[in-house]
Order: sequence, then structure tokens, then C-alpha cells
Amino acid sequence: MKDSWKSWLTLVGRLLLGGVLLAAGYLKARNPTEATASVRVYKLLPVGVANIFGYCLPWIEIGLALLLIVGIWVRQVSVLSGALMVLFIFAVGQAWARKLAINCGCFGNGGVSADGKVHPGVYLTEILRDIGLTVVAGYLYRFPHGKLGLDKAEVFEI
Amino acid sequence: MADKKKQSKHQPAKKQGDTFTRYLVIGMIALIVLAGVGAAIAKNHSNSHAPVPASVSKADGYGISLNPTAKVKVDMYEDFRCPNCKNFEAVNNTFINSLVRAGKINAVYHPMSFIAPDSAVAAAAAACAADQGKFLEMHTALYANQPDSSVVGEHSTYWKNPQLILLGHSVGITSKAFDSCVNSGKYIPWTNNIAADAAAKNINGTPDVIVNGKTLPLATDYDAKAFAKVLSDLGVK
Repeated sequence: MKDSWKSWLTLVGRLLLGGVLLAAGYLKARNPTEATASVRVYKLLPVGVANIFGYCLPWIEIGLALLLIVGIWVRQVSVLSGALMVLFIFAVGQAWARKLAINCGCFGNGGVSADGKVHPGVYLTEILRDIGLTVVAGYLYRFPHGKLGLDKAEVFEI
Repeated sequence: MADKKKQSKHQPAKKQGDTFTRYLVIGMIALIVLAGVGAAIAKNHSNSHAPVPASVSKADGYGISLNPTAKVKVDMYEDFRCPNCKNFEAVNNTFINSLVRAGKINAVYHPMSFIAPDSAVAAAAAACAADQGKFLEMHTALYANQPDSSVVGEHSTYWKNPQLILLGHSVGITSKAFDSCVNSGKYIPWTNNIAADAAAKNINGTPDVIVNGKTLPLATDYDAKAFAKVLSDLGVK
């Protein structure tokens, strides 16, 4: 059992990535108005498409989170979660480059304040957090079979 | 009990049991996701059967439209629990009310309901006041009495029906119809129509003030002189 610590780390990674996705999804699912606005502010999608994406995204996050937490399809889910994080990094990066205010709701300090001043810290925090979560997703892709997961039966298949 | 059952069977049967649990969990998660997406889309769709208060114009996104024939239109997207909206109101409320009462502008109020759980309750009560011809007064009173966010959390409930009814009475509403309108939550579904229209119009925060189709910079919203100048440039003084 010399690889045991790896499977514990996989459990930690699953709970970490799953926990963040679950919290993010839950907060957005409770407030669809903010959820859709938080997609629109990135100005990547036409408004109608952004709104549909905004209604679906929280539930996709919740679904991925639950699969990670119970440990089903960890490898596949880690790819999807990683892709989502890369999408977020891209979205935040281009918002930074275009000086778009993100974190809607209260316009207060979503990267650009009322006087038009840009606050790089807001974008940077988001990007660094998402890079960290992408690394976790990468680890789960490499070592998908951890403790207390329903995928256990397939341990020797990959 | 389930374990006992499994143990009594052969190895392949046990594996099948595990597979069943797994599919059950997968099915449950799929159901949660689909139900969530379905409910979100259904709830945020405009409902054309929702009762709407007096002075509402569907063409203006279900907003409460005062002086619809005036040439200069001021759309205001606000949430009664939004502190920044309170700032906007503190700076411009008296001026805007006087322009509306003089018939000089077409003010369209879009009460949003995403800050706190009671945002929609307050918006619906303001709509009940519109039925009594007291929208401006109720709107003003709701901002004047908005709780300080350091005392009542911005996202915590503050307004309850009895307080809203008292507030209505304090601005001169006497009709019993107002009380029952607030108590029955008659216009709560209407607040979803406002939100759905705002989403379609790319309104991403409050306050959002639009004069004749042009969104004002936030800095202008909080600056009485700059705001008055936008209107005076359009001939409204």
C-alpha cells in the first residue's frame, strides 16, 4: 500500500474541487438573476444565449460537484471540471483585458469601480483560484481512484 | 440488512448490487440537475397571466410607467434592498419626483428583486401602492426606510407584510384593498416578469439608469449636478 497517500490525496482533491463547485453552484442557483448577469458581464455570448447558460451553469456545477464528492466517473468529471476552469480563466482574462466590470450585483468593485478605475487584484484572485482548481482537476485525472469513491470497482481497469 | 443480502449471494451478484447503487446515485444526480435547470428556466420566464399593477406597460418591460406621453424617458432599474440604489435615491429622489409630478419626464420604474429575499415583497408592495395612485410616495418611503446594511445584512430579510402595510398607511394610503394586495402577495409573480425582461435587456446590476435609451455611467447616477445636466441637455429643467 505504498500508493495509499495518493488515494487519500485524491479524496481530498475530490472534496476540494467538489466543494468549491457545489458552493458556487448553490449560491448561483439560489439567485438566477445574478447568475445570468454574471455570465452576461463577460460579453462573450449573445444575451439570449448567456441567459440560458446562466440558468444551466449552476446546476451543471452542482451535478459535477456531486459526482466528484461521491466519486463517480472521477476521471471524466475531472476533465469537464478542468475545462470549465479553463473557460473561467479565459473569461476573466479577456474581461481584464477589455476592462469589463465582473462580479455583478453591486457594481461596487467588480474589477472596475464607478469612476472607471481598474483593480487588477479582482481579476487576479479569480484567475489564481481557477488555476489552482485546474491543477486539482489535473491530479484527479491522473489519479482518479481514491478513498471512499463509488468508482472503486474499476480501480484496475485504467 | 442490505449487506446481509449481498453476502448471501455469489460474487457476481455482489458486483451487480454495487452497480445498482452506482446507477441509482447517477440517476438521482441527473434528476437534480434536470429538475434544477427546468425550474430555473420556468421560473424566470415571463408569465403573461401574472396580474400587473396600474400604470404598467408591457412595452416598457412591465415597468411602472408614469407620464407615458412625456418625451424624455428615464428607465430606472433598482432593487428596494440595494444600498447603491439608496445612494442614487438620496441624491436624486426629490428632483425626479418633482419632474414626474410636473409631467416633464416619463419615469419607468423596474423594481428588481435579487438582493435580498424580501426584495420581491417590497417591490410587490410598491406595485400595490401604484394601484392606489401612491407609487412615488411608497417608492420614496421604501428607500428612506431601507435598513442600514451594517445593521440588517444586505442579503437578509427585513420587510414583512405588516411593516409594508404600515409604511403604506404612513404615506397616505387608506384603502383596505392595499392591505389585502400586500398580504396576498398579488404582484409577486409580476416581479419575475420584470427580472426576465431585465435579463433580456442585459441589465447587469442596480442601479441602472437609462435616459432615452442611453445608459448613464454610474458616476453620473451618484452626482446630482451631472444627472440634472443630462436631463437639462434634453430640455428638461
